Amino acid sequence: MTLRLGPLTLSWPGRDSRKNDPYWDSFINTPPADLANTVTEMIRNAPEGNIFPTKADIHTPEITSSHVKELAKYLGANLVGIASLPSPLPSPKERGDSDASSLASILPSPPGRGEGEGLEPYPFAVVCAVRAEYDPRTSPGIGGQVPVQNGLFITFVLSAWIRELGFRAAAAPDLNAEKLAAVAGLGKIDADGRLVTPQYGNQVHVANIIRTDLPLEPDSSAT
Amino acid sequence: MALTLDKRPEAANGNSSTKPDQRAPDIPPPPYLGRSVRIVGPVVNVDMNQSPHPKNQRGELGKPLFNWYRNTVSKDPLTRVSAPNHFADRKQFLTSVVNRDNKGKINPKRMPVADPAAMTRHIKAVARYMGADVVAVAQAHPSFLYAGSRYVQDGTAEDAYQTSSPADLVRKFPYVIVATTAWDYDKLQAHRHHIGDSAYHVSQMKGVVILKALEGYIKELGYTALRGVVTPQAAGVASGVGELGRNGLVINKTFGARIHMPDPILTDLPLAADQPVDIGVEDFCKICRKCANTCPTNSIPFGDKVVHNGIEKYKINWLTCYKLRPYVSDHWGSCLTCATVCPFTKPNVWWRSLTVSALSTCPIPARPALVRALKWIDDRFWGVARNNRVRWLSYDSGIKPGEQACTVAGCTASHDGKAHSAQMVGDAGYYAPLKENTNRFVKRDA
Repeated sequence: MTLRLGPLTLSWPGRDSRKNDPYWDSFINTPPADLANTVTEMIRNAPEGNIFPTKADIHTPEITSSHVKELAKYLGANLVGIASLPSPLPSPKERGDSDASSLASILPSPPGRGEGEGLEPYPFAVVCAVRAEYDPRTSPGIGGQVPVQNGLFITFVLSAWIRELGFRAAAAPDLNAEKLAAVAGLGKIDADGRLVTPQYGNQVHVANIIRTDLPLEPDSSAT
Repeated sequence: MALTLDKRPEAANGNSSTKPDQRAPDIPPPPYLGRSVRIVGPVVNVDMNQSPHPKNQRGELGKPLFNWYRNTVSKDPLTRVSAPNHFADRKQFLTSVVNRDNKGKINPKRMPVADPAAMTRHIKAVARYMGADVVAVAQAHPSFLYAGSRYVQDGTAEDAYQTSSPADLVRKFPYVIVATTAWDYDKLQAHRHHIGDSAYHVSQMKGVVILKALEGYIKELGYTALRGVVTPQAAGVASGVGELGRNGLVINKTFGARIHMPDPILTDLPLAADQPVDIGVEDFCKICRKCANTCPTNSIPFGDKVVHNGIEKYKINWLTCYKLRPYVSDHWGSCLTCATVCPFTKPNVWWRSLTVSALSTCPIPARPALVRALKWIDDRFWGVARNNRVRWLSYDSGIKPGEQACTVAGCTASHDGKAHSAQMVGDAGYYAPLKENTNRFVKRDA
């Protein structure tokens, strides 16, 4: 049990304190015997939906970005940022900001489901992160994976919504997710290569990266 | 949405239908469900396939409702990804992804439970950790269960217990876990609008994910978790999630009527059941009638409780409530008027907790006076019906439904076919249709 006074959170010894819960450790750390029992597996295996044939009427990129962020936060994201992705070919609309060129060295070939289909690469990445009390990489239990579950909920609905607006959007896991998060201004990469955010330190899980061609305004990276 | 069930036993014709007890000797006596609902006669278990949505899916409610339900794609992108029908592509709707899959096996290595109370605390902590707003446990009773074939979301959910009778199921699985989410209060103020729809549908999706994850976790603990078996409202009232109001909704101490009642979990995991609560809903509903006054279809009774299927409760007319939908689906999906105007539906803040605790600790004979005072305050400060203007994403409840205008401040984009509205000021929302407008198309029972 915790006592919350605005931004201040005090732990409060109570009957439902996790220290007194004999099953809590197993909830966080015991990997499931059957992965079909986990929602994360169901959402990961779900096929991507179609793009709505009519493009929705959208606002200026700044306003659309604020709407994407507002919806992501409503869906449960604690941190949201937008990164501009490097284009493999120099395009006439080259943005010329240093983020994109520095990202090009990190990500030589941006993955994405649009690739190989003769489609334009995705210009933007929406990066959502959720607070993770336990690191999902070292806590394989259903409880340890709750941040992943929350992240999948956000990216599934948000990317489906962008497709319903009539734009391409692909939510996929990314090995460089934390670096992209840093580019999107969520935090910095520390010496171990982990994302450190001002709000939650490294207790944060970066959800699937949504790559999209919805016209957005990228955030500046925290430098 | 309240689903009031349609199947009527021959005995229940609105009057007292108490008959000699014909229960089998091993069926436990009717449980106490709090002051708002009373089991007074034999309860016939209702087949879920006779409830509104399945009836409509089979076309039994007529063409307009069938076409609205099955053949209508919403104009609103967020509704297309969050509402249980009206999607353009089912793959974009998370609930159908999550509910399709229930092939997970029960872990053969069963977690021993020495102290059911500790396990109950654990399950509640787990549900809250996953994001549930309300969690409670009820002692199962055969009268809470559906009859007939299981209500399955995907048509493939088969299990060994499909043909078990309610009494058998309750003997094997004595506990019901109710875990649910609440709707966003601020967005709900723009009910009868896509903003209110999203408050309802997004939290509903979240609730579906939480319950599915909880179901999987119980299977991982080595116990059975059955879905589609228990009537949510019976479980909600029995577990003390809330009391049943005049509007047919379970009204919660913290969130009022703005909570979902999703499909609960029937399980054999050893737990300690919670008890029904008395938060004063019974006393409030006798006097208030705010939901009945504002219901656009007059589906909520002004009168006293009736006995329906052996249960004494306020009985709404689900058919007139349901019939409104095809007429308004261009503008919004979920009416939610009865939930929004309910005086218990307030933000979760200190004055709200104080008022509800004052009402629930007040001696019952003194409650009507307190209720009248609170009702007066509610009418005075929150109005008889909500007409707040809410802006969220591109939505603006100050725009008349059907009109096209961009009211986003600072937007300079050129919009096809819709102008930038000059109506940026003002705080009045526009909620259609008004009650008098629905008189012409909603046929009411006498």
